[in-house]
Amino acid sequence: MKAFFRFLYELIGNPQPPADTPVYRDVIFPNLGLLNLGISAGLALVFYLLINRAMGVATFNKGRHWSIFLVLNALIAFFVTIWQTNAQQVTDHSYIYWLATWNAILGLAWFFIFSLLFKRASTNASTTPF
Amino acid sequence: MYPLRADCRYFSPMRYLTSFPRLLPALGLSLFLSGCYSRSDMKSEEGAAAAEKPWAEMPDNVRPAEAPGVEAPEEASDVVSGAAAQPLQAVNVFLEVSGSMEGFMPKTGTSGENTKFQQHVAQLLSDINRTTAAKQKSFFRIKEKPYADTYPGISATVRSGIQQPAKSTELPAVLDTLMTRYYQPGTVSVLISDFIYSPKNAGAIPYIKTDITDALQRNGAQPDLAVSVYGYLSDFRGTYYPALKAAGKKTNCCNTEIPYYIWVLGPADAVRRFDAALLEQQPAKQAHFGVTYPRPAYSVLDKFQNKGAWYYGDAGASKRMAGTYRVVAVSEASAQQPVEFVVGLNLVQLPGQYKDVAYLKQNLKLEGVDTDAKLLDVTPATDQTKASSGPQSKYTHFVKVRLTQQPKAARPLVLRLQDQRPAWVAQWTTRNDGTPAPKTFALSSLLDGLAPTDATRPIFELPLTLQPAE
Repeated sequence: MKAFFRFLYELIGNPQPPADTPVYRDVIFPNLGLLNLGISAGLALVFYLLINRAMGVATFNKGRHWSIFLVLNALIAFFVTIWQTNAQQVTDHSYIYWLATWNAILGLAWFFIFSLLFKRASTNASTTPF
Repeated sequence: MYPLRADCRYFSPMRYLTSFPRLLPALGLSLFLSGCYSRSDMKSEEGAAAAEKPWAEMPDNVRPAEAPGVEAPEEASDVVSGAAAQPLQAVNVFLEVSGSMEGFMPKTGTSGENTKFQQHVAQLLSDINRTTAAKQKSFFRIKEKPYADTYPGISATVRSGIQQPAKSTELPAVLDTLMTRYYQPGTVSVLISDFIYSPKNAGAIPYIKTDITDALQRNGAQPDLAVSVYGYLSDFRGTYYPALKAAGKKTNCCNTEIPYYIWVLGPADAVRRFDAALLEQQPAKQAHFGVTYPRPAYSVLDKFQNKGAWYYGDAGASKRMAGTYRVVAVSEASAQQPVEFVVGLNLVQLPGQYKDVAYLKQNLKLEGVDTDAKLLDVTPATDQTKASSGPQSKYTHFVKVRLTQQPKAARPLVLRLQDQRPAWVAQWTTRNDGTPAPKTFALSSLLDGLAPTDATRPIFELPLTLQPAE
């Protein structure tokens, strides 16, 4: 798992400054990866199974509503990165923002994948986004 | 401030899952989240991740010279606890009271002035008498043999002068007595004298070293015998007896200061503890023979004057306790972009001689294989590093290392402090002491006799590892 997240997050290059590499690899990457997966899955569950099935809301199932959740998820992924790097006391570096942006992009991808998984289980939004 | 430990339970899909049994994959995901990592988690993993041992295939000259199995002997802790925790069994103090010592301990003059020797030795005797570092303290005057005395008696001798000076005492005979009668585990002998050794005939002068060695090792080998020599200068008012009797004694001596010495003899461990407890506080010239020291605490520091692309390569680096980093993982190194890292050393338990920055700069060596790593500089701790909140506050000295080549595989790197005869010994040695001077006759020959046979043993060896980044 650690190796997978390390691979995923080092697609944008090695952590900077180099001295913080062990913290990023051992702590921050796994935390970010798991949180990102969990939050994306959670938001997809809320959209498809809570709002559009359990609560039976009929007016929140369009592509634009789905996009709200998509963007919300990306924003959360961005700020989770800022929070995690702060919490682990790594050195301030522009890399943190590159990492946050990359995590937001990964958040978009995860949310999309979970949408494909969950949409068929939904009653009102089974064809959102397509 | 955010808490260091990340709390992972941000969403709880459980409530909805019960009504949707098809959503088992999501349950699996939520289980992932329980595996949240944080820096402080994992001290326990540390032991499991046994450090790699790149020593195994290495040539002997870089492998740390430790016996297998006793790796990392008593790592020095931050505080000097050894002396207080386990007091020495006994301290025997021997004050030489031959005629040549009279000038150091003149009878108190009318103006009440005393010599530096009296001031210093009286204070030292008092310190020894009061110390908690030893259980039993005995005091002796050395004439032709040691005579038992008491603290008040010997202190009075120092303060008000020698009443009945003894004839000159032969140093080898004194040492022989100390070794045969007072050499015990946990016991040190403290010998206070001018150490002007005059062999009965001039023909014995070339053999001073041999005579000293013979005296110390007469009753069989004492493999852990150690001697610390502390040298001092004092004004001198009295008759000066040079070692070379032909030069004749000088009365009403001297306008110059004369050296006197404190020798501490005993098992290596006891000598180290006595030195640390009683002799290290005052400035003095010093030389140590056969004394062994616990390995000082040391660590690579990743955020202190670091340069270039490298990071801690130790297993579980993010979770280790500060001060246990020994592996440098280099991701990139070239002549244009060299890697520089600093190793912090805590030398607080070493005697002053080895803490001296000039000594360290000269004698601290960096040895490695397949690397161009060079020791750039040794610097002492500053107020800034001591007040820092980083791990550098724990160290007394910093060693900066630079390299410009990426290591090809894990390779050992050793910081080794050589034991070198300090320069003052040569400066305080004279071949002819007919004219009083702050020098001692044949001092370096005397000290040659103290040097143990394995004199090349380093003071400490600190293994590090260089490896390429993963």
